[in-house]
Amino acid sequence: MINIKLNINGIVCEFEIEPHEILSDLLQKKMGLIGVRTSCSKGECGACTILMDGKPVVACMILAMQAEGKEILTIEGVGTYDNLHPIQEAFIEEHGFQCGFCTPGVIMSTKNLLETKPDASSSQIAMSLSGHICRCGAYPKIIKSVQKAAQKLEENHGE
Amino acid sequence: MESNKSKSFSIVGKPVPIKDAKEKVTGSIKYAIDFALPDMVFGKILRSPHPHARIKSIDITRAKALPGVIGVVTYKDAPDLNWESCWFNYRGHILDNRVRFVGDEVAAVGAINEDLAEQALKLIKVDYEKLPAVFDPEEALKTGAPQVRVEGNAREPRVTTWGDVTKGYKESDIVVQSSMAFESQQYAPIGRNACIAEWAGDKVTMWTSTQTPSEARSAVAQAFGIQINKVRVIGLPSGCSMGIWWINNFHMMTVLLAKKICRPVKIELTQEESFAAVKRRHLERSRGQIGCKKDGSIMFLDIKHIIDNGGYGFKPDVGQLICDLWGRCPHGRFIVQAVSTNLLTAGCMRGVGDVTLGAFTERLLDKAAVKLNTDPLEFRLKNHIRVGDPLRKVGKGLANYKTPPDLKDNWPAPYILSSEAIHECLIKGAKRFGWKEKWQGWGKPLSVEGPKRRAVGMGSGTHCCGVEMEGNTSAIVRVHMDGSVTLCCSMGRHGQGSETTQAQILSETIGISIDQIDVEAGDTQVSPWSHGSIASNTTFRTGFATREAGLDAKRQILEIAARHYLKEDPGQLDIKDSVIYNQDDPGQSIHLKELMSRLLPDALTPPGIIGRPTVQMPPSTTFSRQFAVQFVEIEVDIETGQLKLLDYLAAQDSGKVINPKSLENQVIGGAIIGSGFAMVESLVFDKQTGRILNPNFLDYKVLRAPDFPIQPEVIFCESHDPVGPYGAKGAGESPMAAAIPAIAQALYNAIGVWVDVPMTPEKILKALDKI
Repeated sequence: MINIKLNINGIVCEFEIEPHEILSDLLQKKMGLIGVRTSCSKGECGACTILMDGKPVVACMILAMQAEGKEILTIEGVGTYDNLHPIQEAFIEEHGFQCGFCTPGVIMSTKNLLETKPDASSSQIAMSLSGHICRCGAYPKIIKSVQKAAQKLEENHGE
Repeated sequence: MESNKSKSFSIVGKPVPIKDAKEKVTGSIKYAIDFALPDMVFGKILRSPHPHARIKSIDITRAKALPGVIGVVTYKDAPDLNWESCWFNYRGHILDNRVRFVGDEVAAVGAINEDLAEQALKLIKVDYEKLPAVFDPEEALKTGAPQVRVEGNAREPRVTTWGDVTKGYKESDIVVQSSMAFESQQYAPIGRNACIAEWAGDKVTMWTSTQTPSEARSAVAQAFGIQINKVRVIGLPSGCSMGIWWINNFHMMTVLLAKKICRPVKIELTQEESFAAVKRRHLERSRGQIGCKKDGSIMFLDIKHIIDNGGYGFKPDVGQLICDLWGRCPHGRFIVQAVSTNLLTAGCMRGVGDVTLGAFTERLLDKAAVKLNTDPLEFRLKNHIRVGDPLRKVGKGLANYKTPPDLKDNWPAPYILSSEAIHECLIKGAKRFGWKEKWQGWGKPLSVEGPKRRAVGMGSGTHCCGVEMEGNTSAIVRVHMDGSVTLCCSMGRHGQGSETTQAQILSETIGISIDQIDVEAGDTQVSPWSHGSIASNTTFRTGFATREAGLDAKRQILEIAARHYLKEDPGQLDIKDSVIYNQDDPGQSIHLKELMSRLLPDALTPPGIIGRPTVQMPPSTTFSRQFAVQFVEIEVDIETGQLKLLDYLAAQDSGKVINPKSLENQVIGGAIIGSGFAMVESLVFDKQTGRILNPNFLDYKVLRAPDFPIQPEVIFCESHDPVGPYGAKGAGESPMAAAIPAIAQALYNAIGVWVDVPMTPEKILKALDKI
């Protein structure tokens, strides 16, 4: 067993873990963060995307011990039911999803994109989401949601 | 039944956000995989390594002895009963002493955690007697082929026929023959599934993600030989399902294990199990001919279509509604032959039959149009079905269906199409897409630049608006003491936004805001029987029941208001924003909340209002169809075979649109999954064992955001259905059917060769004789 300490959504947490433990399992099973959706467990579908030290990673491809000392942000740390993040509002307004399974991961990637490239073009947005599978095929509305989120963030910034 | 043509709408037709949107963007919505009971045991399933074998003996002693293992079930524990999933997507025992495909269930272990359960599986010793297996649908039909099932491999052919094709042949100026072979598409659910089952005495409760809570309940009762009132299914939301998460045998395994070990059990499927052990789209083969007059009128269609059911599917047909789309032609014969194979069970996937058989029919149409040198748009405009035309596909048991005599005034005539805007879809879609400018003639690209050729294509599709097999759908409206309302309708939640559309219909019907309405779509203990959201049922048939139940609730509200408070004729009253008012004197009013919370003087209770449909929908297959027309511009590189979609337009006739943004998602979502099947999606089966070689997203490719045009256009052409709620119709499946023909036609125009699906670079290069 190994002891690790990391910051998850602003909370410092300590865990005793197995060396082979996967970060997505830790977040989901030990922290109850079900918004870290696990699907393929092979890094192919993007559903478990989180931000680690601000960068998007697929949590199913990272050992929990690699997260030692890191800052982890999951969808649960982005906004809450009664206090949504502008990106989440934009996705709701533009219907940027159907079943919602891929949505948390998509929003995490969007957050990173809009922080690093707030003026991304629609094709750059599409490319930035190529790590995500939306089996419902809501891609066009996801792209519109990202554009709307960019607008919202810019307006907020201007205030 | 209220007339559809009465009024302007307050919420029908508005793009309101879907009701569970906040749960979805915060990641807090719980699918079955997220659900747990405090004292549950974890189950894992042992699966067959052989495509076909008899279990000679099975030894579970070592598995049971592993510390932490609670119990094991094998075929010896299973009831000697067949169970059937809706639409015959499964027929068989939960377990018997035979395995029929690689991945078939053999046993299940329950343990205190998943790792131990997994370990215990390796300790079960099974002695198999291998049996000959068959993997090809045509081989499986031959005399002497290994028999997959006791019922034999071949189902009775389903024939839809009208006129006389021999006569049609003679009357035709041109006749064209063709054939197509399809590969198998996987639902490829990124939302995996789980089942939790708990017995309390002789009652069982099941939590799972399902589109069909009612049918899941009936199936569990059937599988265990118990009464329906002993089964409660709590349907949880699922990830994009498209037909996979109805009721499957892994559910039954969970219930069986829970029964044996007397503990609640959770079985959670891995991604690989979801791909290779639940179900898939059928493997399908089409062959047939078309005959036309020189003026382009189709004289006959004659098609034979084979589908494979895999190990446990038992479908006799694939709902060939496509024969209605071109059923104007005087003579037709569509024969569907279903057959069992030792491959993974096949079942209904979005647009079943109308995607495949539809694509083939469109291929025949296109080849005829090539021969006649006619624009495919003109060809379709000339031949498509129109309102008042006969419908050719007659539902089983409905051949003698007659309109009930007391309802004749506003009921559609049986087997006559009630509404259609496919003509408008063709005209408006073509105009908006610029078809006339872009269409260069058959086999002629729009542009050639080095190895890159651009071209356009168009295709059409149809599907039913629900099917009434096993009965009609229902809904219950409960009005609470504070004037809020719960709508109970068993339809599951798998992403199409059905709760929202139903709530919009109910809001419009009663005259209360959508925020006052909550929808219970999964719990069979409170929701009446329904087909669930399959076969494009929900908006049309559940929506009809919802509106009728809403009208019944409204009638009761107005009667109470009239009798106790407003002293008026109930017909004089109406409801707006929860206020019941006198239409002649709007100041005379009472708020619904006040009405519902006051004790009734004659009963000394608050009013108990439960609205139920008082009219049942006529069999929807006898009158209604949904239609899709899609236009695409592609670019293909003839050196690499790479195919790209550059521009896409989808025109849709789903009747009156209830929620345009939800429907846009459904239409484009359908086009994308259809395009995926057209271009990349295909399960690969091992030739020796039938094992699926690509049961994951690494090897099974699907389209991603950059693979589809970023801003596809959607046009709604609203026909006005006389029965559907406010004129609405089904929507989810026809958009998937139009994609393959559109892309295949565009590719033909680019390279002058027809290519079977999926049109991968490899197949394109082969078609060009480059490899």
